[in-house]
Amino acid sequence: MASTQPPAALSFPRPIFAAVSPHPFLHAHLTTAPPSKPSHALRANGRTAHDFRTPSIHTGSLTHSNGSAVVRLGNTSVVCGVRAEILKEEDVSGTAEYADAEQQRDGDDADGDDMEELDSLRLLVPNVELSTGSTPQHIPGSAPSAFAQTLVTRLRALLLSTRLVRAADLRILHAPLDTAEQDSDGAAQNQLKAYWTLYIDTFFISLDGNAFDAAWLAILAALQDTLLPRAFWDDDLEMVLCSDVPGEARRLQLRGLPVASTFAVFEGADKGADAGGDAEQQGPGSWVLSDPDAFEESVCSESVCVVVDCGTAAKGKGKGKGAVVRRMEKNGGGVVGREEMKGLVKRAVERWGVVEAVLGGNA
Amino acid sequence: MNTDRRRINAPSGGTSAPVFARTVKEPGYLQSLRPTRTRGPNELRKIFLQTSLVPSASGSAYLEIPTSTNTPTGKTLIPPTSSLKITASIQGPKPLPRSAPFSPSLLLTTTVKFAPFATRHRRGYIRDSVERDLGVHVETALRGVIIGERWPKSGVEVVITVVEGDEDAWWGDASGGGSGNGDGGGWGLLNVLAGCITVASAAIADAGIDCVDMVSGGVAAIIKTPNGKDLVKILDPCPAEHQNIVAACAVGYLAGRDEITELWMKGDVGADPEELIEGATHAAVGSLSVMKEVILEGVEAKFKDQLSVNNDGLKRKQQDVEMSG
Repeated sequence: MASTQPPAALSFPRPIFAAVSPHPFLHAHLTTAPPSKPSHALRANGRTAHDFRTPSIHTGSLTHSNGSAVVRLGNTSVVCGVRAEILKEEDVSGTAEYADAEQQRDGDDADGDDMEELDSLRLLVPNVELSTGSTPQHIPGSAPSAFAQTLVTRLRALLLSTRLVRAADLRILHAPLDTAEQDSDGAAQNQLKAYWTLYIDTFFISLDGNAFDAAWLAILAALQDTLLPRAFWDDDLEMVLCSDVPGEARRLQLRGLPVASTFAVFEGADKGADAGGDAEQQGPGSWVLSDPDAFEESVCSESVCVVVDCGTAAKGKGKGKGAVVRRMEKNGGGVVGREEMKGLVKRAVERWGVVEAVLGGNA
Repeated sequence: MNTDRRRINAPSGGTSAPVFARTVKEPGYLQSLRPTRTRGPNELRKIFLQTSLVPSASGSAYLEIPTSTNTPTGKTLIPPTSSLKITASIQGPKPLPRSAPFSPSLLLTTTVKFAPFATRHRRGYIRDSVERDLGVHVETALRGVIIGERWPKSGVEVVITVVEGDEDAWWGDASGGGSGNGDGGGWGLLNVLAGCITVASAAIADAGIDCVDMVSGGVAAIIKTPNGKDLVKILDPCPAEHQNIVAACAVGYLAGRDEITELWMKGDVGADPEELIEGATHAAVGSLSVMKEVILEGVEAKFKDQLSVNNDGLKRKQQDVEMSG
């Protein structure tokens, strides 16, 4: 019993420490920065607080989709397929006003409030599937979890509110050759015969945090890749036919390039215990982590999602490089206030540049 | 009204897949797109297999069998024959919940799900009978391999996602017949089953679950030659490439023990079913050789990591995060 060495402090290998006490584990990582540069503290995954994971995107790998994309964001990988099917005009009610409105606008394609048309007719059908063994939390056999439902609802809301897809792209019009009618009307009266409906199915192959950004990026890349065949009304068969000549097909004219950036807020150790030592050195004692992984999401309760668009298509009224905030979501806590939010928007704008370069190099 | 409140639903009027004008108006055009087999009768398609792609799962694998026929791309928008793309991930073995009754061996749950974009006709999110059927077949194939007695009171989930599946027949035949959904031959399912068995087996090996041997899937078929009336046995049939498949068979085969854990045969086999089964086991041996190589690579990589950790473990010792208590 007479040991000469002092009893060693209880020491764990990394994975066990992370599993046993996740919060102190991440806190220990974030506080072991060189004092000169507190912003260089590394998270458990080796990134600094401001580092995003670089996405990699492959498009057009699915045979049966009009557009598809595989997006990898670190260990999160997502497959998205866009499939276009035809919704006949007689199967929906109340499209006449849309057709009329279309003619009044006629050529004014830059703007126009077509969100209601897309929404009420449900022309965009995004869905996600998490129960693919991508994470232990989502085991198949049960109904979509609350998380999956929230995710898909947020994605759909963003699709509609950014007005990314133009309703004009999805309309299948027909100009009748009937000359008598043409003469009386003066111009060719385009008839609305059908709509393209876009099924946007997103499958998570592997999920390691930040499902929203990855899914949105996959949807964005898949929509950019989407090729709609030229569709026309055939008078003889009385149905909509498509041309299979690739030259006649067209891409979707997307409005802008909104990029989502998600942040998780990590609050330092309990204020009571560490107030003396930490508060002086670390200021507020909380960190805003960009692009959180699954481990970080499990210890952070507050999260912020900022969607910005700095593209030329977005006619920004602001001064800062034409960046437009398209959506902002925040929940779970009160650390991020107005000042912090400004910083986060700046980080999201930086992120936009990175993502735009990856998407651009791919297209 | 059958709506799914937990998902985003399609327009209630229903949608239809696009119909291409040239397939309706030019009868000869459709036939010009028909793919043909360019491989020899005993030649398998190339197999791409990768393990450990889902870090949060205990084991995972991805299998891809690209189409061998080089259909002219860029000339038509009609999708060519698809390739086979399957992922599998293993969650567990995990302890069963306290409420579950005692189980002396590992409880295996196998789920097979097609992605909505996996086939020419869009699939739904709720599992249909075909998927449940496939799941049972894969489970049978795996159950004979796993040494379940080593994990009492535990369960393991095998989740298989078919990202892209083989087609049951060439799509032109299906649409010409007007049946729309294929003629119900279901030949493609056998290929999917064989792929599922192979990929699930690789994932189980990746997860390090004890097995008596590695099971692998293989398919063989008997076809009628297009000119004569001869019957020919081929390995690894791509249903789109053959107009007249007479019979087909998929097996889950343990090469080391020369055992079959799963057998699914369809069609008119004739007097000698054994020849067909033997053909399928030959195909299974082919996919096994790929699997072995990939798993060996994976194990080597794992050990290399561990070795390097052990080497600088001495230096690392001091850097271990300390927690006094």
